[in-house]
Parts: sequence; C-alpha cells; structure tokens
Amino acid sequence: MTTAATVAAGGRIPSGKLAIWWFLASEIMTFGGLLAAFVLCRFAGGGWEDQAAHVNARIAAVNTLVLLTSSLSMVQAHRAVEEGSRGRAATFLLITVLLGLTFLGVKGFEYSREIEHGFTPSTAPFWSFYYGLTGLHALHVLAGVLANAALWIAALRGRGWARVAPRVEYAGLYWHFVDVVWIFLFPLVYLS
Amino acid sequence: MSDTARFPSYVAIWSWLVALLVVGLMCAFLPFGKAMAIFLIFTVAVAKAFLVARHYMHLRSESLLIYAIAGLPVLLLIGLTIALVPDIVFRR
Repeated sequence: MTTAATVAAGGRIPSGKLAIWWFLASEIMTFGGLLAAFVLCRFAGGGWEDQAAHVNARIAAVNTLVLLTSSLSMVQAHRAVEEGSRGRAATFLLITVLLGLTFLGVKGFEYSREIEHGFTPSTAPFWSFYYGLTGLHALHVLAGVLANAALWIAALRGRGWARVAPRVEYAGLYWHFVDVVWIFLFPLVYLS
Repeated sequence: MSDTARFPSYVAIWSWLVALLVVGLMCAFLPFGKAMAIFLIFTVAVAKAFLVARHYMHLRSESLLIYAIAGLPVLLLIGLTIALVPDIVFRR
C-alpha cells in the first residue's frame, strides 16, 4: 500500500527509492574521491607501474565476470517481483548472494597470494590504495550480500512479502552501483 | 506499455557487458601505445557503466530529480579533481 509517508517528490517517487539514490550520491563522493586521489597521486609520483605489475589481472577479470553476472541475476529478481513471482525472485536473489560470496572468496584468495608475496598496505603507496579501494569495495559487496540474503529469506517465508518486495528494487540499485564502482576499479587498478 | 519496453533483454545487455569486458582486456594486452591503451580501456569502462546504469538501474525511465541527485556528485567530483591537478600533479 502506498501512503503519504512512503511517497515523496511530487507524489511520484517512492521515498525508499529517493533515499537509496541519496545514499548512492554520497557513495559516489566516497568512492569517487578515493579514485580521484589514486589517479592524482599516480600522476604525481613515479614507480607505481612496477608495483601495479604484481596484481593478478586474470583473477580480477574472472571476478569482474562474476560481478557482472550477479547484476544480471539481481535485475532478474527485480523483474520477478514486478511480475508477482515470489519463487523466481527468491531463486534469483539466492543466485545473486552466491555470486557475491564467490566474488568475496576470490578476492580473499587474491589478498592471501599478495600478502604471501610480501605485498601489504605498507609496502608502497600503490598497495595502500589497492587494499583501501578494493577492501572498501569488498565491504560494500558484503553489505549487499547481507541485504540480498535477508530479502531471499523474506521471499522464502512469504509472510509480509508484499511489504518487503519493493525493497528488492532498492537493494538492486545498491548492488548495481557496487558493480559500476568495480567497472572503474578494475581497469584503474589492474589494467592501466 | 509492452513487456519488452518495460523490461529490456537483460541477457542481451549482459552479453554486451561480457563482450566489452573482453574488448577491455584485449586493449590492455595488445601492443597499443600506453596512452592509446588507457584511453580505450576507460572508454570501454564508461560504456559498461552506461549500460548498467541505463538498463539495470533503469535510469532510462527515471525522473529528472533522480538524474539530478546522481549527477550532482559526479559533477562535483570532476570539478574537485580538475581543481586539484595543479597542486598535486604539477607540484615539484
């Protein structure tokens, strides 16, 4: 049910959606500021390319594919909600959660290899940025996994689903944003 | 509104994203000049981000208010970065 409290901005945009876009705007500044600092410091200081050569672009490319695929399953979950299919929504949410966990697992494996080879945040400025940027991104993936898992459980139970269902779209917006951040992080850290 | 108009082919968009991922990787590993490779890699990244934002985040059917909320920090960020270039990059 749509009430006055849940609708904002001329009665057209649900307040939940408006709130998640405000949140994403702040996230743009957070990640954007860090990415801009990375680019500027890289231009300003030398020797970064030697350090950047040690990251594993192949593993990161696989992780990019995982995240892009999770965006597909997330948007399919939203579509299932719009079509009123709770069962399909639950299935796609579960796939998204599993892909998110896969991303985190691969990232953990990558970290362990790098630390094993002696590349820690204190090794060089590149590694400080590397762990800061990818670590913050991984925390966002973890938050998305938890939100999607909560929605998956709600979809499985079915009780109160009508009230919860619109949140799949909001969780999806967040999840796709995290994907967009990675789309820029991947070439910046691993390819350039 | 038809179902196709409301829901674009998400699988087709995913296929484009994967194709662009492959193109981006090829740009990084093929023997282009450094500047050209970086330009191509980031052009591909912008194209991927555009596809996700437009189709998966449904920006193509959003109101001006949402564009304003999302666009303002992007503009601020670009301005901030450009303003810092003389201080950080050219400071010796």
